[in-house]
Amino acid sequence: MTNKQWKTKSQLKKERQVKLTALIIFILISVCFFISLNTGHIRLSPQETLMTLFGQGTEQQSLILFDFRLPRMVIAILVGMGLAVSGAVLQGVVRNPLAEPGIIGINAGAGLAVMLFISFFATVSDAPVFAMPMIAFIGAGGVALLIYILSYKRHEGISPIRLVLTGIAIAAGIDALMIVLTLRLDPDNYQFLATWIAGSIWGSNWKFVLALLPWLLVFLPFIYSKSSVLNILTLGDETAIGLGAHMERERRILLILAVIVAAACVSVSGGIGFVGLIAPHLTRRLVGDKHEYIIPISAMVGGLLLLVADTLGRWMMQPSEIPAGIIVAVIGAPYFLYLLAKTKD
Amino acid sequence: MEWSKEQMDEKEQLKKVKDTARPTVGILILTVGTLLLIFSLALSISLGAADIDFKTVWGTIFHFNPDLVDHQIIWELRIPRVIGAAIVGSCFAVSGALMQGMTRNPLADSGLLGLNAGAAFMLALCFAFFPGLPYSYVIVFSFLGAALGAGIVYGVGSLSENGLTPIRLVLAGAAVSALLGALSEGIALYFEIGQDLAFWYAGGVSGTTWGQLKVVTPWLCLALIGAIALSRSITILSLGEEVAIGLGERMGRVKLLSAVLILILAGAAVSVVGAVSFVGLIVPHLARRLVGHDYRWIIPASAMLGALLVVLADLTARIINPPYETPIGALIALLGVPFFLYLARKGGGHV
Amino acid sequence: MDALDVNNISVGYSNDLIIKDLSVSMPKHKITTIVGPNGCGKSTLLKTIVRVLQAKEGAVFLEGKAIHTLDTKEVAKRMAILPQTAQAPSGLTVFELVSYGRFPHRKRMGRLSKQDYEYIHWALDVTGLNDLRDQPANALSGGQRQRVWIAMALAQGTDILVLDEPTTYLDLAHQLDILLLLQRLNKEEGRTIIMVLHDLNHASRFSDYMIAMRDGAIVTEGAPNEVMTCDYLRRVFQIDAELISCPYSANPVCLSYQLCEHSVGCKVR
Repeated sequence: MTNKQWKTKSQLKKERQVKLTALIIFILISVCFFISLNTGHIRLSPQETLMTLFGQGTEQQSLILFDFRLPRMVIAILVGMGLAVSGAVLQGVVRNPLAEPGIIGINAGAGLAVMLFISFFATVSDAPVFAMPMIAFIGAGGVALLIYILSYKRHEGISPIRLVLTGIAIAAGIDALMIVLTLRLDPDNYQFLATWIAGSIWGSNWKFVLALLPWLLVFLPFIYSKSSVLNILTLGDETAIGLGAHMERERRILLILAVIVAAACVSVSGGIGFVGLIAPHLTRRLVGDKHEYIIPISAMVGGLLLLVADTLGRWMMQPSEIPAGIIVAVIGAPYFLYLLAKTKD
Repeated sequence: MEWSKEQMDEKEQLKKVKDTARPTVGILILTVGTLLLIFSLALSISLGAADIDFKTVWGTIFHFNPDLVDHQIIWELRIPRVIGAAIVGSCFAVSGALMQGMTRNPLADSGLLGLNAGAAFMLALCFAFFPGLPYSYVIVFSFLGAALGAGIVYGVGSLSENGLTPIRLVLAGAAVSALLGALSEGIALYFEIGQDLAFWYAGGVSGTTWGQLKVVTPWLCLALIGAIALSRSITILSLGEEVAIGLGERMGRVKLLSAVLILILAGAAVSVVGAVSFVGLIVPHLARRLVGHDYRWIIPASAMLGALLVVLADLTARIINPPYETPIGALIALLGVPFFLYLARKGGGHV
Repeated sequence: MDALDVNNISVGYSNDLIIKDLSVSMPKHKITTIVGPNGCGKSTLLKTIVRVLQAKEGAVFLEGKAIHTLDTKEVAKRMAILPQTAQAPSGLTVFELVSYGRFPHRKRMGRLSKQDYEYIHWALDVTGLNDLRDQPANALSGGQRQRVWIAMALAQGTDILVLDEPTTYLDLAHQLDILLLLQRLNKEEGRTIIMVLHDLNHASRFSDYMIAMRDGAIVTEGAPNEVMTCDYLRRVFQIDAELISCPYSANPVCLSYQLCEHSVGCKVR
């Protein structure tokens, strides 16, 4: 915190504001976390939950808490963080406030890959557990690459609008293709796939937490370190070049980062859209347009969002569960439409 | 298009449209198209899991004998299916043409703009809450659903400051489809009707029955006639609102009428075959290439070409991998996706 | 040495060259203006100079070194650009936007240094934006916003400023305001200024050196009184003008003008 004397009053005020925002979101996450621990098929009272957390619960209680609920909630938060940051990066790079990981084919690609994968096995339980996220990851990355290549034009590079349109077209194509495959699946596999695509956060045990965590620990800080580049990219190609940014290179690196993070998330959570759209937007409302603030805060907002969605999904129609992805889409799509009506280009 | 509305006098523009129109090509398409359509209908009726020769087909149509199995297959399964395909193709294509003309949007298509998702959502509701509802009611729900999807998409588009740009419409369509899709998914998961819905979603004309055709056909004939009657006004609308007002066109009425027609066409088509995208995108572009920019020719030509496309797609779907049927929605997407990409790459273009 | 030398560049797509085999030099510590009719390639030339576009053939030299061989950050420390259509994201304050000008001088992750702050505050001072620094940049008027972009370019701390039609969309007083600011920067600090202007009279009044283009080639270049002549105006813009001496700069300016085909001839008063 050097140079304090050089900062203007409003800058200091803004920094305080950002810290306050972060604190409030953190408190909200904690509250939701606690509520979420109490939510589910088998009810635990807050007292029992606390007891169990400190090792005083019955065996069944700690099984429910530590082996089912806790990992799932941690996954929800991590995935929300990853998708939100990926969305923030995409919106900056593509310079379109409507971009999100789903647009560059992450969900479609992962879904297709998982579907192909399980159609090779008679039942889902035959499939090796860790192969699934790997396959999903590869599918997501592959489709993102395809979309990137298809929207690349010599002399012009990547135009944001072309990227978005190509993404929509490819996603529509993959949807059509998947329907063909759906018809051949047996009902059990079908049910699994449908729940997967709907974004059910299916990979809910500690192994998946450990599988996802390294990706986020490595790439989120790296993305944060690119904040100033993201700031410059949002000013437009010419200004960015004038300021000495390696436009094409930086854009490509950031796109790759966004794809990796989003693909890692989707591979354990299933097809969740709109978090990457909503979280950065809400964040911008709260802290303005500097990516030094957007990246960390939108990660928190994303985590909160998905945790809430997952909790709601478990609570709303007990005993059956609604996948978090559906809840997020039902909240997210109207918000997207609202943004669409409001933005100018 | 090499001319823009700022540079040209309105009358001149209209003249240009008339000059570029190619009525001879139009007549050619309609006559040759009719012949081709009849041929492919016949072909499609005779080919299938059980091949039946043309003579028997002929016999069925003119001397139907309910005791022969072949005759029964043809009469109860093949003919309704093929006619269904033709009708559905026309509907999607004409609704696409109307949308593209009305919104001056080259990317307009009932699948991309949320109509199909809306109709599908309503049908999911029907499946879940009123299983066994008679078809004549189902189709009304389908209309309502299409109207719901379209209403949201256009509502959002027109609320925004810069109006309905092609991109905005496509994005709004994608979001509305995602929303309605998620809701349908939720319903499907909860009521465990997912795979039933998927079969229907997949877009097949295989289940078409005479009963369905009887309900749908009058709607479609009316809508097609209406579209042709409106085509002159659509041409003027396609030149841009300012020009249209300058030429004394009553914008509001034309738009309302075309909107109603689009909903009927798309809603009915979806209720027969499920969500098939891209027909309404590809066919009008093709028609425009062939007959010029006059919608008096584009609309009938689209109807013809759309029917041909879907009948052929259905035929292909049956013979690619027998005895399974490949859903035609997937086949048409195989054509449609590259075509959409091509349009997007070209920079959207004009209508 | 000149600030920028353009050597035999060709720009455009392979079969459709916008500029063909063009050479020109822009003097140091001077205001240089490029003028010409729509589509003459002046913006293309400017974009090539600032490396937004790549020359198919030939090269641009920044103080004697070929620009495409230099690290882009190094170039950014010596030359700042202000594009014609600069757009800011909606949530940025004036101060934040101007601080982005320090990008080429910052290390990754680094916070703004003391020197960065000095430059930013100086840029805000010079452009008269100090009172507005905490306002959202998008809420400002057109003239003020243009000042913000100029301030950002100044914060970059470069000797050379390149501007693409900095006065477009501004009313008369604000146009003059911007040009006087640029003139002051040139006179008081010796900054090299290179810009495209649409208004011939502004170009003549404010520049030391003018370059007139037509059809992707240079028709003439030199001091305003050498370029603003009946003959060249006719060749470049196809107008016949009545030229008078500008009361503020003594350079020639057009009193009024007429298309050649309707004209009664050129006059110099």
